[in-house]
Formats: sequence, C-alpha cells, structure tokens
Amino acid sequence: MTSLIDLRSINRVYEMGGESLYALKNLTLSIDTGSYVAIMGTSGSGKSTLMNIVGCLDRPTSGSYSLDGVDILRCSDDQLAEVRNAKIGFVFQQFNLLASMTAIDNVMLPMVYAGVPKVERYGRAVQVLEQVGLGSRLNHRPNQLSGGQQQRVSIARALANKPSILLADEPTGALDSHTAEDTMHLFNELVSHGITIIVVTHDQDTADHARRIVRMRDGEILDDSDC
Amino acid sequence: MGLAELFLIAWQGILSNRLRSGLTVLGIVIGIASVITLMGIGEGAKLEAEKQVQALGVNLIYIRPGSSGTSGVSMGQGTAPTLTYEDVLAIKENCPAAEDVAAQYTSSFQIQVGEKNTSTTVVGTDPSFPDIRNFHTAQGRFFTVQEANDSARVCAIGDGVVEDLFSGGSAIGKKMLIRGELFTVVGVMEHKGANATGDQDDQVFIPIQTGYSTLFGLNLVSGRAVKSILVQAKAGEDLQAQFQITNLLRLRHNIQSPDGDDFTIRTQMDILQTAQSITGVFALLLGATASISLLVGGIGIMNIMLVSVTERTREIGIRKAIGAKFRDILMQFVFEAIILSLTGGILGILLGLGSAYWVGSLGQWKTVVTAPSVVLSFLVSLGIGLFFGIYPARKAALLDPIVALRSE
Repeated sequence: MTSLIDLRSINRVYEMGGESLYALKNLTLSIDTGSYVAIMGTSGSGKSTLMNIVGCLDRPTSGSYSLDGVDILRCSDDQLAEVRNAKIGFVFQQFNLLASMTAIDNVMLPMVYAGVPKVERYGRAVQVLEQVGLGSRLNHRPNQLSGGQQQRVSIARALANKPSILLADEPTGALDSHTAEDTMHLFNELVSHGITIIVVTHDQDTADHARRIVRMRDGEILDDSDC
Repeated sequence: MGLAELFLIAWQGILSNRLRSGLTVLGIVIGIASVITLMGIGEGAKLEAEKQVQALGVNLIYIRPGSSGTSGVSMGQGTAPTLTYEDVLAIKENCPAAEDVAAQYTSSFQIQVGEKNTSTTVVGTDPSFPDIRNFHTAQGRFFTVQEANDSARVCAIGDGVVEDLFSGGSAIGKKMLIRGELFTVVGVMEHKGANATGDQDDQVFIPIQTGYSTLFGLNLVSGRAVKSILVQAKAGEDLQAQFQITNLLRLRHNIQSPDGDDFTIRTQMDILQTAQSITGVFALLLGATASISLLVGGIGIMNIMLVSVTERTREIGIRKAIGAKFRDILMQFVFEAIILSLTGGILGILLGLGSAYWVGSLGQWKTVVTAPSVVLSFLVSLGIGLFFGIYPARKAALLDPIVALRSE
C-alpha cells in the first residue's frame, strides 16, 4: 500500500548567478495517513522548501511526488490549486487571515473556492469554529481577536474542506508559551480524529508533541525517528 | 466557482476601501457626464441648424450677385450690383420650373414712432415673399399686389419692432416714419427668432417698388438693383429651376464661360449640407474632447487597480494557497474594475442628463441627448472597465503564491 505522501528523489534547485543551489538534495520521504510529523531544522536547512513542495505551492525540479495517489508533477497550476483546496489545510505562523473579513467569512473562504453551497458552507464553518472553541466569536474580525484566537480561526479555516493533511508552518512561532500549549493540545485532538499533521518548526517543545521527528540539514534528511 | 460568488468577492474588495473606490469612480463619472453633455450640445446644434434651414421655406433657391468663380479677383458675394429687378421679372416670365419669385433689397434705416426711434433692417420685397420664405403675418396682412404696383406706403413689421416702438401694443393701422418717410403698418409678422443672418423679428417689410421710389433710390448704371432673389421651385423641380435660372441669367448678363458668372445660386439642400458639415465637425470636436477625459478616467482605474494588486499581494497569496485558481483571481479583479467603471458610467449618465438639460436651459438652443449616446456611454464604461482592468487582474492572477505569501 502506498503512503499518503510519497516523495522520491526530490531535488529542488535554484539557479543563482550561474550556480546551482540545491535547496533539496535527492530527498525521499513517506508519510502515512494519521501520522503526526514534525520537520525540524535551522533556517536554510530546506524545511520551508520541503513544506512548499508537500503543500503543492511549489514543484520539485526533479523526482516524483504522489499525494493521495495524485501525481503532483503532472498537475497544472489550476489542478494544484484544486489539490490544495481539497486535500491540504495550511496553518501559517502569521495566521494569514483576511483582515477585512469576519472569522466565519475567513473560514468559509476555502469552501467558496470549492463551490460548496452557501447554507452548507455556513453550517460547516460554524461547526469547525466550535470545534476549535470559537463558537462565540463568529462575527469578529481578526483585529478584534487575540493571537491565540486568530491562530484557531486559521486552524478552523484549514479544516474547513476536511483535508487529509494539516500543514503547519511554525504554528507556535507567534504565540506565548501558554497559548502555544493550547494549540498543541488541539493538534493532538485532531490527530486522534484521524487527520495527518505535518508541523515545520525549529522549536523542540513544539516538535516533542509529534510522534515522528524528521531532522534536516542542507537540503537532506539528517535523522528520521519515531518517538 | 460561480460568477455570482466572484462578483460578491469583488464587491467586498471595493467596499473595503470606500474612499479610494469613490475617487476612482469619480474619474469615470466626469468622463461619461462630459461625453453625454457635449454630445447633447452637438446634437442640439445640429438639429437647430436643420430647423433653421427648413424654416427658410420649401424648395427654396437663393440667388445672390457676385462670383463664385475660381479665377480672377472676386469682390465677395453680394458686393457687385449685378442683379436687377429686371432679372427677377425675367425669371418669373421665362423659367417654368420656378413657382414663385421674390426680390429682396435690404438696407438699414432709422425708424420712428412718436418719441421712440430705433435702427432696423428694411426689406423691400414682393408680395409673394411670405409664401416663399414660409414667414407669415400673425396679425393684419402682408401688402398686396395692388399696393406693390401702386408703390403704396405700407409695411409689415416684425414682432421685435412692435416690442421696441409700440411697447408690445397693437400696431395695425398705426403710422411710422422710415428715414422720415411716412408708412402705415398693415401687418405684424409671426415670431421667427434669430438665425445665422441675424434677428428675423427686427425687420420691416415694404413693397420693393415703394423702396425704389423713396428709400433705396435708383442706380443710373444698373437700374433697379436687388440684393438677392428668392425662388420657390415647383415641387421636385429644384434642379430644373436651378438650371433654367443659371442659363437665363448667363444669357441676360452676356456670360460666355461658367467662370465668368456674376451671380451665385444656392439651393436649400446646399445650405443644409453646409450647416450639417459645420455642426458635424462641431459635434465631433466636442465628442473628442469628452473622450479624452473618459480615457483619463480609464487610466485612473488601471492605476488604482495596479496599486490595489500590489497592496493586496499577500491577500492574493492567501487566496491562492487555500485554493483560488487563475480564473478566480482574474475575475475578482476584472469584476472590481467593471463594477467601478459601470457605477461611474451610470452615475455619469445621470449627471450628464442633468447637466445637458441645464446647459440647454441656459443656451441658444436645446440640447438633445439621444438614446444611442446613452447606450454608447454605458457600453464604453463597461469596455473601459474590461480594457483597463484586465492587465492588473492578469498580473494578480499570475502571482506566484509563495512569493505573494512572503510579501508584507
């Protein structure tokens, strides 16, 4: 049986002033459904590039990537957008909520692009916002919410289209330790519901919540261990 | 995803920056309003000119002394006293296509009633004048053939003269002095308004024979000179009449070559065409001026859209990350541009209708806003939104999501 994420011999090369820079070097990685993986490494280790490729925001220069049975390298830009919309939920360090929209509008946005009918969209948005504990903050704008609350709106948005993977880039980077702990508890809960979570972080405490830690350096996997 | 959803997203985008959206719309409002107003003025001028030409009469042919030739020195039309009353009689006699003929001799004189006096245009003419010029009396009557043959001292006066000398009261049967000669008013002309040749209501009409014996005098060389001849051609025989008159006058004036013509014949159609070509250029000029402001408004939209795309790069990145496709982003921004330009267009049409009406109430002629100019303005504003919106929208839709997400 193939894994949910199957990366083989991935290279990501940037051409800079005639020189080839390998952000990812011959990288092979499989992640199964329901795993909770932390990808660790210092800045420049290639972990962000890896996240962009796993998240279908970027394409590898060479290698093969199969996500949930879909050959990502053969997808057009619009097909990648569809894959991101349906299979991947992003949680960003800066939350990346749309400031002019209320919490519920932000959560409904991925469903708008998926073409979910209005009534269903609204019901689903209320449901996920309640799931992250923001049932009473539906009509607040991002600037009326605390950092932790904004983070939870962005998690609700990521969950809106019932993705297979939650991809979190430094999810605790902008939060205080207490709120960060809350977020990690939420992640644990989501994993127990069967969602796959990949956290990219340089913070050991955050990584410790994961069940598998992949350490990277210079575009290569240094160490891959379950814990 | 549906266009309705994209339209809604675009609408939210516009509302999120109301002041800027409003100012952008203003550019289009002013552009469209000036197009509507100026085209209304141009169209009104055209109709006014046509109306004036029609008001001259039916199948009118206008003969003036002076050469229209291309060689030699022209004295300017109407300067050479080459047309005489004998020519008028000859046309009446010998041109079967001419229904009726009237001579005109105009000159400016001082006229006086009691203490009041003023200077006005005195027109010596024939009794057939009212029918040919389609210019009739409103009260009383024009002078008769009998009065003309008798050189009677009678006159018909324009309503402007009544206003000036009789204070708007009844003038029929009253006496008035024209350069010291006593005349009896027998009729008051209908109100005609001003045309290109002057105020038609500020005129006094007398029998031309009376004029020769009292006011105009006789030229020993050329006899009874006339300043112009009006001919009404028989219906559908304008060209024959023109031909017959031309040949007759050449014969009478011993003219061998057409270059030597000492008279000019113009038909009503010639006058209409001249008027139309002048007002056409006028309308075109106004339209072109207005179009420039519309173009500036369109560039304003593109400018604002480009700023908006740059400012919202991160938003575009977020939308792309969560699943917006090329078309979704493209249509969002195209719709924004179209909503801005169409709103501007509709407001501009309303403002334009208002200001055209206002200008019409101030000016010499009514402004006429035609349905095609309104529809055209609407379509142009739609086109501006599309044309100037596509480039910024495409730029937005082509953004790389990673780069866009990283921007501040």
